[in-house]
Amino acid sequence: MSLLDAHLMREIANTPRGRGVLACIQCGRCTSSCLVARVVEEHNPRKLMEMIILGLRSDVLLGRLPWHCLSCFTCLDRCPQGGDVGEAMFAIRNLAVREGNIPDGIVGQARSLFETGRVVTPSRMALVNREKYGLGKEAVVDVKAVQKILRKTSFDKLIYRGS
Amino acid sequence: MQKGVVVIGGGIGGIQASLDLASRGFRVYLVEKSPGIGGRMAQLDKTFPTMDCSICILAPKMIECARHPDIQLLTYSEVKDVKGSVGNFKVTVLKKPRYIDLAKCTGCGICADHCPAEASSEFDENMGVRKAVYMPFPQAVPRVMVIDKDNCLECGLCERVCTANAVNMEQQPEEIELDVGAIVVATGFDMFDASLIPQYGYKRFRNVITAMELERTLCASGPTGGHLIRPSDGKIPRSIAFIQCVGSRDRRRWINHPYCSSICCKYAVKDAVLIKEHEPNSRVAIFYIDMRAFGRGFQEFVNRAKSEFGIAFIRSNPGEISEDPATDNLIVWFEDPVTRTVQHVSFDLVVLCPTLIPRKGVEKLAKILGVELDNYGFLKSADSVRKPLDTTVSGIFACGYCLGPKTGDVPDSVAQGSATAARIAEILAGEEVR
Amino acid sequence: MKYAFFLGCLIPAREPNYENSVRKIAPELGIELVEMKGANCCAPFGIQSVDYTSWLALAARNLCIAEQMGLDILTLCNDCYESLLMTNTILKEEKENRDRVNEILADVGLEFKGKTDVKIFSDVLYEDVGLEKLKNAVKEPFNGLRVAVQPGCHLTRPKRIHFGEQMGVTALDELVEAVGARSIAYERKEACCGGPLRGINDEVALHVAKQKLDGVRAAGADCVVSVCPFCYFELDMGQLEIKRHLKEEYNLPVLHLAELLRMAMGMRLEEWEVRAHRIPITEILKVKEAK
Repeated sequence: MSLLDAHLMREIANTPRGRGVLACIQCGRCTSSCLVARVVEEHNPRKLMEMIILGLRSDVLLGRLPWHCLSCFTCLDRCPQGGDVGEAMFAIRNLAVREGNIPDGIVGQARSLFETGRVVTPSRMALVNREKYGLGKEAVVDVKAVQKILRKTSFDKLIYRGS
Repeated sequence: MQKGVVVIGGGIGGIQASLDLASRGFRVYLVEKSPGIGGRMAQLDKTFPTMDCSICILAPKMIECARHPDIQLLTYSEVKDVKGSVGNFKVTVLKKPRYIDLAKCTGCGICADHCPAEASSEFDENMGVRKAVYMPFPQAVPRVMVIDKDNCLECGLCERVCTANAVNMEQQPEEIELDVGAIVVATGFDMFDASLIPQYGYKRFRNVITAMELERTLCASGPTGGHLIRPSDGKIPRSIAFIQCVGSRDRRRWINHPYCSSICCKYAVKDAVLIKEHEPNSRVAIFYIDMRAFGRGFQEFVNRAKSEFGIAFIRSNPGEISEDPATDNLIVWFEDPVTRTVQHVSFDLVVLCPTLIPRKGVEKLAKILGVELDNYGFLKSADSVRKPLDTTVSGIFACGYCLGPKTGDVPDSVAQGSATAARIAEILAGEEVR
Repeated sequence: MKYAFFLGCLIPAREPNYENSVRKIAPELGIELVEMKGANCCAPFGIQSVDYTSWLALAARNLCIAEQMGLDILTLCNDCYESLLMTNTILKEEKENRDRVNEILADVGLEFKGKTDVKIFSDVLYEDVGLEKLKNAVKEPFNGLRVAVQPGCHLTRPKRIHFGEQMGVTALDELVEAVGARSIAYERKEACCGGPLRGINDEVALHVAKQKLDGVRAAGADCVVSVCPFCYFELDMGQLEIKRHLKEEYNLPVLHLAELLRMAMGMRLEEWEVRAHRIPITEILKVKEAK
């Protein structure tokens, strides 16, 4: 159980995708529409917003809840406040990553992106098959450019912690 | 200065304004677009929170309007043009042809009995049918039939059976010019099209209806004779859900009704209680975001609804509704506010409470009058604090919902109707207080 | 009609059959696809979840490449579409973000000018090619094949970005009908397939896919047609996993929209393309052969 942190709401509201937390009226339409909420009891967008409003910092940033989100934007489209629950999920995940809370699957994608410029790369077999099927060679990514960008934004620091 | 007033809109607000003005000696022309006066209140079953029969308290005022020597009813008419300024307006009114002679028709209804053509009844919110020649509703004032030429087969049967010789298929539209000193706009509200919130299934699922459609169903003069039955199969619903804020408090760009419509919580509780009175063993739930039960005995009414009538008040806005094709029942998906888990519950009938919007045609009327509208199409007040019933044109006043989400219940519309009459009296009697 | 062709990561890695069908039908419809040299991953939601500015900068790099080519982007994947379109919209409208991103892009010699548009495959077919041209190219129409279209989440959401600009689901329905099939209504048509959670929480992903497939089956569809390669993967491969873990079998073939059109245009799918479908599409092929 977290200690209440009154600054949490403001902190999230100040991130680019977190503005919506200030508009939430706790109507519950988001959770009522969420496909994941029907499967995973713990995943509850309205509750997440409630925890932010209350300031339950560690529950919000260190929990699994934001990582169950499909980013399908159903909640976002239906929110009567024009909202931004779906967007706020991204803001929370951005902050969660900075606390070291990031699932392995995403770490894998992110490292692949940094190292090859792609989140998923074709296997050797796939590359051979491409030529066989007449699709030509695999397009080459300018990995240097990608890495330059990601170093500048300190992306690499976020995904290579402690390794 | 002319001592006449044109009142546009024959609902309770317009009726009250007309009566007050006439009793002060002004000549009132009450212009109403539909074939009879009465407006929304005539469509309701009961009013809140007193649970009075709506038409019973409205009809005496309607009749007084019809019989008052200083009020001229111009029903089935529209304002076409306005010139001049406060004290001296020239208003052109177009009287649409009823194809019935007002002076001769006794309202006996034999023509309608014989008419072979049917059309959807606007008064019954398209829940029922009427004939091409019809009486708008049983208590209509004036108590005269009207022929809807668009659906008329022109078979001539009505003309043949009418004992009063009142049918006149050659009737032409008539334009009249009125010299008046002031104008009152009292056009009221429409309901927003709830199919714009597609996940609630309005117009896709037959047993999802709006509150107005429910009112017509519950009303004894309505298409079901006042029996609570549901559209798809005529069965009596044993479980009913009300969904609040369908379109209201919605800031999304493509909906754009961020305001609270102010009367929906009230009428939903009223309708829920009415349903429980019809079917005491039914299960009734109201899904709300906030229960806005302010003023005038309302919170007490809500408390009674919970304790005496056992109506469930669920603080959750449902995400979507799906239909069970085998039973035509609706499945409402919502988050249970107590257990915090997503539930889906089956209901026989779902009633949506949509946002209230300006009446169709107000935009055109505003251009004719030269009055300003706000972003939502409601009439703007000259000063919303100090002169709330004055429009932006001097000499033109407004009362009731056409000014926007008001408290909007009957006593408020009546009060505002009287208030506009007082404002006009000040001006036309030369006594305006600066 | 020339476009900067943005393939994304998933299609070259896992779904070359989608790419193949697109390349085969493009010339018939007057679409010219130009390779975007050096283009990187669009930065889909997984990457967006890590860092905001990294997302904008990576997506913007692709937009700059298209700008330099003087062409609009045509993408085959809903997630790429969402990422590039949202970035394009944000950077066009918000100066602060644009300046920040351009500062980063300057290091790699690029500048976002806001001169390109991003289009998804189905909208290109519907708006730029047009139904008439498509119908004229159809040689073997499907005979009322009951199709459940899977628009995918990011075709029409967030509505705030797409509002009034893209045709979305209607386009898909009409494209499918233009080749003689029938686009049927089914419950939760616009719902997510569950794909985004693959690799992060496979169990939840499967349950979400199941909700979708239940609706499709209940409506009596013969097959599912998707635009997005994630949806394709989740609903196709997902059925095998649902069979194994949730003990439910659907046998609903999943086709790419491009494959459906290709077959209607009289072309045969190659052996390897047929095998690329985890749920066999033999029934559909048989119906076609029989005519």
